Amino acid sequence: MVRRPIRRSLPWLLALAPLLAACSRPAATLPTTGPLPVGAVLALTGNASLYGQDQRIGLDLARAAHPGQGRPLALTIEDGGSDEAGATGAFQLLIRRGSLALIGPTLSQQAFAADPIAERQGVPVLAPSNTATGIPQLGAFISRVSAQSSVIAPLSIDRALKLLPGLKRAVVFYAQDDAYSTAETTIFQKALADRGLKPLSVQRTQLNDQDFLNQISAALALKPDLVVLSLQAVDGGNMVRQLRELGYTGTIVVGNGMNTPNIYPLCRRACDGLLIAQAYSPELDTAANRAFVQRYRAARGSALPPQLTAQAFTAWQVVAEALARLQSRRPLGGLPLAEVRRELNREILAGRYDTPLGPIRFTPEGEVIQERFYVAQVKMAPDGRTGRFALLP
Amino acid sequence: MPDGSLLVQMLIGALLGLSVYLPLAAGQLSLATPGFMTVGGYVAALLSTRVAALGGAEPLYPLPWLLLELVLAAVIALALALVVGLPVLRLRGIYLAIATIALNEILRVLLLNSSWTGGAVGIFAIPQPFGDPLGYLAALLLLLLLAGAACQVLAGHPLGRAMAAVRDDELAASCSGVDSFRVKLLAFGASAVLAALTGVLAAHFFNTWNARQGSFDASITTLAFVVFGGSRLWLGPVLGGLVLTALPELLRPVGDLRLVVFGAVILLGPLLFPQGVVTPALLQRLPLPAGWRRRLLP
Repeated sequence: MVRRPIRRSLPWLLALAPLLAACSRPAATLPTTGPLPVGAVLALTGNASLYGQDQRIGLDLARAAHPGQGRPLALTIEDGGSDEAGATGAFQLLIRRGSLALIGPTLSQQAFAADPIAERQGVPVLAPSNTATGIPQLGAFISRVSAQSSVIAPLSIDRALKLLPGLKRAVVFYAQDDAYSTAETTIFQKALADRGLKPLSVQRTQLNDQDFLNQISAALALKPDLVVLSLQAVDGGNMVRQLRELGYTGTIVVGNGMNTPNIYPLCRRACDGLLIAQAYSPELDTAANRAFVQRYRAARGSALPPQLTAQAFTAWQVVAEALARLQSRRPLGGLPLAEVRRELNREILAGRYDTPLGPIRFTPEGEVIQERFYVAQVKMAPDGRTGRFALLP
Repeated sequence: MPDGSLLVQMLIGALLGLSVYLPLAAGQLSLATPGFMTVGGYVAALLSTRVAALGGAEPLYPLPWLLLELVLAAVIALALALVVGLPVLRLRGIYLAIATIALNEILRVLLLNSSWTGGAVGIFAIPQPFGDPLGYLAALLLLLLLAGAACQVLAGHPLGRAMAAVRDDELAASCSGVDSFRVKLLAFGASAVLAALTGVLAAHFFNTWNARQGSFDASITTLAFVVFGGSRLWLGPVLGGLVLTALPELLRPVGDLRLVVFGAVILLGPLLFPQGVVTPALLQRLPLPAGWRRRLLP
């Protein structure tokens, strides 16, 4: 075998340099001065960006309302896109920069990929909007302020039946390539069957579909009087508009994916009358919620805050209050980062919080315990541009 | 500075680029790479989460079973490629591309609607064979070096020359005694195996696997690796995969504009380098040792 001079291998070694550099670790202790870093990973691009925008507003408002007691908190928001790779990348980045806790990611599907990364490195994750079954079960460091859809979704069916007891013919739509849609439709379908309304037809769509003529025609041929949608905001908004345009006049119940005022520009006047179960109502009459609504209106004009904004606000409040309690016991500066993160996780789960969602606390597993849920009906203004989720009594 | 996990994703991109490059080297535009990658990923995800005997519950997933997954994924992907390739490779150009998109769609809809694949949620909590991204980095780097070396050997091998002949003029190659169908089928099979092997490692790395990995978007992204990097030399798609995977992450400091800048790069690449960034002419100009240049150029 011929020995090669090192000179020839040099370019390869240089090419490998970034790999070696990647092995370097960040400082393992928390600095004694400066703000405490907290990260958030939101879907600001991609098909879930409508949610990420709502959440960003919530975090911005919360940051002003709860700047942190003791050392101030510094929030870094990273775009997690709407897919797993984006969320994973953003999680890694924020953990490497020393975030004490992470808020996010926006979608449950992203959480299944990104949360185990934080779990393995012992970083607390507080999900503001993951509603799929099994999220807190991903690990000891994973918790959420968003109640799971199996608790909330059936409420809207009950309300529809209370409003119109004669409903007989239900049809269900869901996006077959979306984790949220498929998980929620199972819950809806079971709830319907339990109430003697077994769906006449289950229509499958795709997340990125724009045109639903085929599915709607097939469904309307069965003359339904109740349509139940488990769709995200963009495809769901289009679906509602097309359902009404094609002549459907009956009741429409929608799932959590359409729980954002960002559907108004999509379905406009056709949004009117949608029934939706919510984990938050702007009409909840508590001091915490009144203050939150006031802040929202001061920042955004006359509109009412949506659920995603309230939940993101709540997530920040939980992290801020837990960190404040932790600091009141002992200074955190100079402690190992891993220890601060572990203690913070314990503190988050142990606390009780008076939030815009009402009083909340957590199970030891990290599942939120929330007292009240709501059913709202969309009321559109006559111009069809603005509307609100009106709480049903 | 890219971190370990971004480097892993870059290497996955480079391997997928190579997988698109292989059929292209024989003149075949196949968009089936994400489909075969999905198959490989499901093999890994199903075996490691559903077969308890393989040690999925242990803190670190045993490496021998990872090897078993790799072998099994390669065999399944190869079999699928041969079965599908027999009829499909009689098509050419854009028709072949459409047929491979159809293959992806069939796989995707099947996987989405089967209960044993977890439907749209897919499979999550896939056990980890490595405790650190560096493990994945080493495994993928090894795979990339092997694949690169194979491409390098191929360039001087009769089969590689036959592939180039089919690419340049299939009719002339057939007249000269090249079994063009066999050559195309081999290239398609190699592409499928490489994609499936990448899928196995990617599924473990991402913790979760679902049918969205094989979407049409993914086909176009992997094709962009080759268009950007260049399809004449195997280094082209590798570079394309590395750069185009890293760019959206490296551009994070730009903030909300990052995807605009990324799009501009994809647009400017083919405008400034119509043949891709890495071309034989570029290698002639670069100050490389003479031996390297001779070896890298076809």
